[in-house]
Amino acid sequence: MRIVIATVQVPFVRGGAEALAEGLRDALRAAGHTADIVALPFKWYPPECILDQMLAWRLLDVTESFGTPTDLLIGLRFPAYLVPHPRKVLWLLHQHRTAYEWWDHPFADLSHYPNGLEVRDAIRRADGAFIPQAQAVFTISATVGRRLKEYCGIDSAVLHPPPAHAARFYHAAPEDYLFFPSRLSRPKRQELVLQALAQTRQPVRVRFAGSADEPAHAGALQRLASKLHVQDRVDWLGSIGDDDKIHQYAHALAVVFPPADEDFGYVALEAMLAAKPVITCTDSGGPLEVVEHGKTGLVIEPTPAAFAHAMDTLWEDRARGAAWGAAGRARIERLNITWDNVVRTLAGCS
Amino acid sequence: MRILIATTQVPFVWGGAEAHAEGLRAALCAAGHAAEIIRIPFKGYPPQRIPEQMLACRLLDVTESCGAPIDMLIGLKFPAYLIPHPNKVLWIADQYRMAYEPREHPFVGGLLEFPAGRQVRALIHAADRRLIADAKALLANSLTVAARLKRDCNIDATALYHPPPHAEQFVCAGYEDYLFFPSRLTHFKRQALALRALAHTRLPIHVRFAGCADDPAYLPELRQLANELGVAPRVEWLGYLDDEEKRRQYARALAVVFPPEAEDYGYVTLEAMLSSKAVITCADSGGPLEFVLHERTGLIADPTPAALAAALDRVWAARDEARAWGEAGRARYDDLAISWHTVVRTLLA
Repeated sequence: MRIVIATVQVPFVRGGAEALAEGLRDALRAAGHTADIVALPFKWYPPECILDQMLAWRLLDVTESFGTPTDLLIGLRFPAYLVPHPRKVLWLLHQHRTAYEWWDHPFADLSHYPNGLEVRDAIRRADGAFIPQAQAVFTISATVGRRLKEYCGIDSAVLHPPPAHAARFYHAAPEDYLFFPSRLSRPKRQELVLQALAQTRQPVRVRFAGSADEPAHAGALQRLASKLHVQDRVDWLGSIGDDDKIHQYAHALAVVFPPADEDFGYVALEAMLAAKPVITCTDSGGPLEVVEHGKTGLVIEPTPAAFAHAMDTLWEDRARGAAWGAAGRARIERLNITWDNVVRTLAGCS
Repeated sequence: MRILIATTQVPFVWGGAEAHAEGLRAALCAAGHAAEIIRIPFKGYPPQRIPEQMLACRLLDVTESCGAPIDMLIGLKFPAYLIPHPNKVLWIADQYRMAYEPREHPFVGGLLEFPAGRQVRALIHAADRRLIADAKALLANSLTVAARLKRDCNIDATALYHPPPHAEQFVCAGYEDYLFFPSRLTHFKRQALALRALAHTRLPIHVRFAGCADDPAYLPELRQLANELGVAPRVEWLGYLDDEEKRRQYARALAVVFPPEAEDYGYVTLEAMLSSKAVITCADSGGPLEFVLHERTGLIADPTPAALAAALDRVWAARDEARAWGEAGRARYDDLAISWHTVVRTLLA
């Protein structure tokens, strides 16, 4: 089949969403399909920009290319999934969150603008009108599916994405650091980890990997670390390549991943593939679908004190951490999160 | 600097235009900048759907991303070069040719045969004339493209050449008994003209064609033409070649045949020169004429089967001349100082 994957491009930002689109394209090709990614640049501020870009996507024609029809369109993100196509399947990473669960919220954006409400309503109307036109609606996690049902009354099925290079993750003897790979941004909550570090009893060290979406944010985090007097116990690796990332996972004592209401979160899966225990939070969203408290890691209150206690626990009790890591590895093998499964499910909708 | 390169995408197609954008991206990153490509999906038919895709480009905001400015936009193709930006540089590889070629044109024309074709053509002309001038600097892929901009829009652009992909990997490994003609199999590349010329040659010239057909029905058409002309035993259809195989074919060819119609630029000419091979092209081939020097680095023939046949015969018969012209072609490429370094310096100046 000839398959187009529609997604958005935020210039100079690269994270899980980009990896997912490329992974899907490569998996479709490996399965014998012809696949290509179509993306328009996306800027969500000021709010009227969003309306322009919704229109831009509705004006595109990806139904055929040089006379040959496109058999299937897979829409991943807003507003790309609004593009017209008679055979469309959605595999939602998320909707436009500041129009839904992040409206009037610490991570709000849209609600701060005078025209935010009317743009929010336009987004909700568009989602309500166009999402149901798809042949099938999948989401990357139960977390995203629940939001879609709660806000839009739309049913969907869960289809988890495998992380890139899943087969290459390995486990090695743990060294003295906890690993936290994620884009440096407020929803990922690197701040929480820094505040927790200030309260640990043990000399816990954390390695952060990832670059900042907003260039100023990296400096702000480093200044916070200094203010809390924990700068000597943190390393900022910045943007690292896949090989390095796999190595860091392999030698970590544990993985910390406490985002706020994450859509899904490759990090938890990658930690499990590397047989490492995961510390996450009760409000972290996606990770809660794979991490089991007391079995494969710790799921704790998103407070510095609780997080500090969790980090201390894994720093001191190495045997327990290793056992939880092994249990995590066993669990992920049972979950059958594979590209084969994804390709068969999505391509089967045409 | 944070730089976006704006080009156009036809889903599932990857060719010279894509290599151009990717080469520029890599060169900008090598020079220490942050560079990314944005590709606008474009379906150029039917013509009455073009204005809305132009509108889609005008609706995009690429002035900043996540609160930090995007310092420059480099536009390469229509309609992506219409995207607004206060610091836009155009390095035009391609306008929308169907809006400019005369209506009698046998291969590319046809816009006026569609409903609203006249209005769409007027709209494209108006947009190009007004919005191309918004750019801070205007460059063109070649003198051929610049001349069209001047003739059709009265816009002055400077030609800026760039190397073909993997330029440093082309070599010469001898001069064997075949001419090489690598290009997508399509009307305006004129494989058909080469076949007709072969029917007129005095000598038993062999031609190896490489490349896939845009329209899958075209290869059988060409094969049938070769049969009808009685030249089938002297041609080979190599189909798709990966980069290494393609370079090997260049490396051992006696010379390269490349007689497209009104080519914008033409990596083939440069690849041939890099491989120290003479180039046989035609007087209306466009881009190649900016590089091929008649009877110094190759031959420029009238675009008729008889004239092209004479050129093929001449190269086939005079092997020493073919070799000398090939080596002169290599020297000329070096003299032209075509490099990504020059490109980056020029675009960012």
